Amino acid sequence: MKFRAKIVDLACLNHFTRVSNMIAKLAKTCTLRISPEKLNFILSDKLASGGVSMWCELEQENIFSEFQMEGVSAENNAIYLELTSENLSRALKTAQNARALKIKLTNKHFPCLTVSVELLSSSSSSRIVTHDIPIKVIPRRLWKDLQEPSVPDSDVSIYLPALKTMKSVVEKMKNISNHLVIEANLNGELNLKIETELVCVTTHFKDLGNPLLSSESASQSRHPEDMAEVHIDIKKLLQFLAGQQVTPTKAVCNIVSNRIVHFDLLLEDISLQYFIPALS
Amino acid sequence: MSGHTDGLRPPLAAASRSLFGKAIQTLSRVSDDLWLDPSEKGLALRAVNSCHSTYGYILFSSLFFQHYQWSPSATMRDNDIPMNLNCKLAIKSILPIFRCLNYLEKSVEKCKIVSRLDKCRVVFQFFCKHGIKRTHNVYFQDSQPLKILFEKSLCANILMIRPRLLTEAIVLLTSNQEEVTFSVTPGNFCLKSSSGESLDLSSSVYSEMSFDPEEFDFFQVGLDTEITFCFKELKGILSFSEVMHVPLSIYFDFPGKPVVLSMDDMLLEANFILATLSDHPSRVSSPQSQSLCLSQALRRTEPTQSSAQVGQSQASQAPESISRAAPKRLFPKDPLDSSCATETKRASTNQDDISEVPESVVSDMEEGPGPSQLRKFSCMFFGAVSSQQQEYASHPLDSLAIASDSEEDWDTDRLERAGLRVPAAMVSQSQGIQQMLQAEKPVAKKVSEARK
Repeated sequence: MKFRAKIVDLACLNHFTRVSNMIAKLAKTCTLRISPEKLNFILSDKLASGGVSMWCELEQENIFSEFQMEGVSAENNAIYLELTSENLSRALKTAQNARALKIKLTNKHFPCLTVSVELLSSSSSSRIVTHDIPIKVIPRRLWKDLQEPSVPDSDVSIYLPALKTMKSVVEKMKNISNHLVIEANLNGELNLKIETELVCVTTHFKDLGNPLLSSESASQSRHPEDMAEVHIDIKKLLQFLAGQQVTPTKAVCNIVSNRIVHFDLLLEDISLQYFIPALS
Repeated sequence: MSGHTDGLRPPLAAASRSLFGKAIQTLSRVSDDLWLDPSEKGLALRAVNSCHSTYGYILFSSLFFQHYQWSPSATMRDNDIPMNLNCKLAIKSILPIFRCLNYLEKSVEKCKIVSRLDKCRVVFQFFCKHGIKRTHNVYFQDSQPLKILFEKSLCANILMIRPRLLTEAIVLLTSNQEEVTFSVTPGNFCLKSSSGESLDLSSSVYSEMSFDPEEFDFFQVGLDTEITFCFKELKGILSFSEVMHVPLSIYFDFPGKPVVLSMDDMLLEANFILATLSDHPSRVSSPQSQSLCLSQALRRTEPTQSSAQVGQSQASQAPESISRAAPKRLFPKDPLDSSCATETKRASTNQDDISEVPESVVSDMEEGPGPSQLRKFSCMFFGAVSSQQQEYASHPLDSLAIASDSEEDWDTDRLERAGLRVPAAMVSQSQGIQQMLQAEKPVAKKVSEARK
């Protein structure tokens, strides 16, 4: 198994750092999948994450100027690593004004992802800082649990409002209730509702627009005013929203009534999918 | 000792006040207590942390003050050595006085410090703008200041660097590290964060950064070595040295021997002695070999009874160690605290017997696979206990650093009879300090020459 990659462009580096920061906020521990074309940050719906799953994908050639990898075997040309997301984002943070950044898979006492940053120090000689991030290699038999989740046939698909606004609303709602109902219809309306014995609070978002549906979609016959709703844990929604530091290029929310809510974001060229299951 | 009024009276000049305040703040990070130790050289502030792994000593020369007056209140019975002002202040009492450095510089016009032995207090007076005068009476405890004699010049490795460079580097290491490692060879200096010894995913990232010897103002490496010590202390010391605007000098040797960080300008000298981790991979299995902190009571032993033991322990002069808990947590609070607590208790009971303090060993020592080493912290002030640690017996310095006790009458003959070769620097208390300070001067010269 081998992996080495290099970033020399500052914009690419910052982009990668931002993605890493976002992942660090979304998942404490995640899986990094390295394949010849892509890098994926994966959180599968284990009990530990409370059923939440995440799939983040980026095309390696958009970020790295050099990229070489050799997977476990020829047929299984991929590497699956488990790491603490914050370790990666902190290491990348030291590379803010770096000349170059190299990442490679190493085995110093234990398997690591070594991030090596070349900085211009104040004494005008370049300085190299290396960070060895401990990782765990995930054996092949567990790979099946870490595949790209299938996008469910949603009842409603809607564009999200400004995520910052959603976040501040949900933050306040969190103090009142532990679970929240998210509902939307094909008329561009999305509501966030919480309900307790004493009070009900609903925030209405209108004129959001709905993405065009494919012709086989189940929701073709759906009445546009009908709301599809899911009861979810408010903390999970908040965690998702808190991770979004940048305005996405595209943000879609797909709801399968009473089953799951699926957030599909595009951050420039990086795609993020986040699934929150309904509370049982 | 008769009652007496003025031990010292130094008004502080303008910008010096904030420097003085900064010194107190830096020492407050070390310990909860501070010794005020005036002598004819100047006013020294000393602090040592509870585990005796960090010792800070800042000497403000008499020239630092606009006016400095010190008169010894009495002399010791036999030798005519002036008695110190045994003044220990609680940091809690004086830190608030010197907390706001800006205020000290801008609004305070003069600061006067007077000690009043008869009333057991130190008086800090601030003469501020608009005719305001603030007076703080701080009571002190009568306590012998701990003085450490340490031969910096005998260290194999001496480095001098602008603190700014190190500070910038420190920022790049991940912030939750507890320890930092300096790794040197004649061609390279490497700063490392503590190596994670656990295979757990959540173990911390291991970071490393190299410096070229060119970046140092002075770079002498006689011994390829790696020393590890407390990261938090380094940060505090760097911040003080930046305020002093002088390069930081680093003196060290083999792991286990304390590292000295010092800053010296004409008016002010600051030294921080930090214990370093010693590397004894073979020691893992036997708890017996994991020796412990001896209290200062060691110094007060009856020569007849325990000279043999003293001789033996000092002769073997390997660092004694406080054994570590599971490597993940490098400063295990509980075992360390218990050993410190026992230690202080011993100090106060003034026992003559050097029986070992009940072990602070933590039994659940993990020895991970691979070359992970069990690391033990050295308590730097005291001689070794275990007879097993003989490796450093051949090293010229008998002890790493010796606490001098001014009440002691170091009888060279007696110690030599016990088989102990007394290092030149340690003859009798006051002479010892003089010698140490004299010994340091050549180094200072060498360093300043190198600066040019």
